[in-house]
Amino acid sequence: MPPLSGWTVWITGFVGKVPALDQLMRLLVSDFFVPVVICLIMLGLWLGHPDRARREYYQRAVMNAAVGIGISALVVRILNVHLFWSRPFLVDDVVVRESATQAAQTIFYLPHDPTFPSNAAAVSFAAATGIWLGNRAAGAVLFFLAFLWTFARFYAGIHFFVDLAGGAMIGVVTGLLMAKVFMPRTEPLPTLVLKLGRMLYIA
Amino acid sequence: MAQDYFLLVFLSAVGVIQIAAVHARLEGLWFFRHAKVQYAFGILAILGAFGWFFTGSNRNLQPNVEGAQQLGLFLAAIVTAYVATAILSSIIQARVGTKPEHPAEGKQEDLGMETLKTTTVLGGILSSLRRERKDRV
Repeated sequence: MPPLSGWTVWITGFVGKVPALDQLMRLLVSDFFVPVVICLIMLGLWLGHPDRARREYYQRAVMNAAVGIGISALVVRILNVHLFWSRPFLVDDVVVRESATQAAQTIFYLPHDPTFPSNAAAVSFAAATGIWLGNRAAGAVLFFLAFLWTFARFYAGIHFFVDLAGGAMIGVVTGLLMAKVFMPRTEPLPTLVLKLGRMLYIA
Repeated sequence: MAQDYFLLVFLSAVGVIQIAAVHARLEGLWFFRHAKVQYAFGILAILGAFGWFFTGSNRNLQPNVEGAQQLGLFLAAIVTAYVATAILSSIIQARVGTKPEHPAEGKQEDLGMETLKTTTVLGGILSSLRRERKDRV
């Protein structure tokens, strides 16, 4: 088992105590809710500024974030092959296993893909970092959403704390690297993409 | 589930595009004459889509929409939403005659969405084609 796995027992102990909280967590932990909201905010940022130059600046931030999402998902996929431990509801420790199973069955379902690092944490924090570098307010909202999604996954007992912290760290580092190092070096490709988008009335 | 997910993203993206078009003053994408009606429509589309998707049935089931498929559906829904908005707003504005077509001067590859402040997407495409024909003659 990974370090800090006892925290899973503590957090999953809350499941079933407050029905309204469980209901909220069912929404937040969903594979659809937070990712769609994050992407819709990115869409709004892509379109929503009246000033042409500012809009292009935000569009570049959205492109950086989108590339960050893709690369962080790839990093997670590679790490999943080499670093493997079981989901909390599959470990040998009876206390952890039963507590996590009960929480996961109440809030979510029992996923069987690798647990470390968390893909959800990686992609949501990569998106938030990419956007934050272009627009602080939208980035702060995305970081909050990423935190909520990550926390809901911890609450539902489908990840250990280390899985989520590792995923978030990968997301932030990837987001920073993409925006500050990789994307500027791929010029003139992003500029050409924007030019094509302008010809198609989408940028 | 895949169809439901596509519809969720499509409807909410139409809502976001309408709200963003008000902010950016891209009147060529507007469905309505008044900004407040635009906002109301956009918010209703987003809340309606999310309300329908998440209250209709339990969405936390073993995924039959995998990550890659989810991404593909999302992109397809966003593109469809933008194309549908462009076509619908062009038809509405042409029929109601809310906006005169005054396309901005300059090349489309430089102007981009800026054109949509003064004309619709179809209006912009038509005037680009006209301009190209004129240049050839």
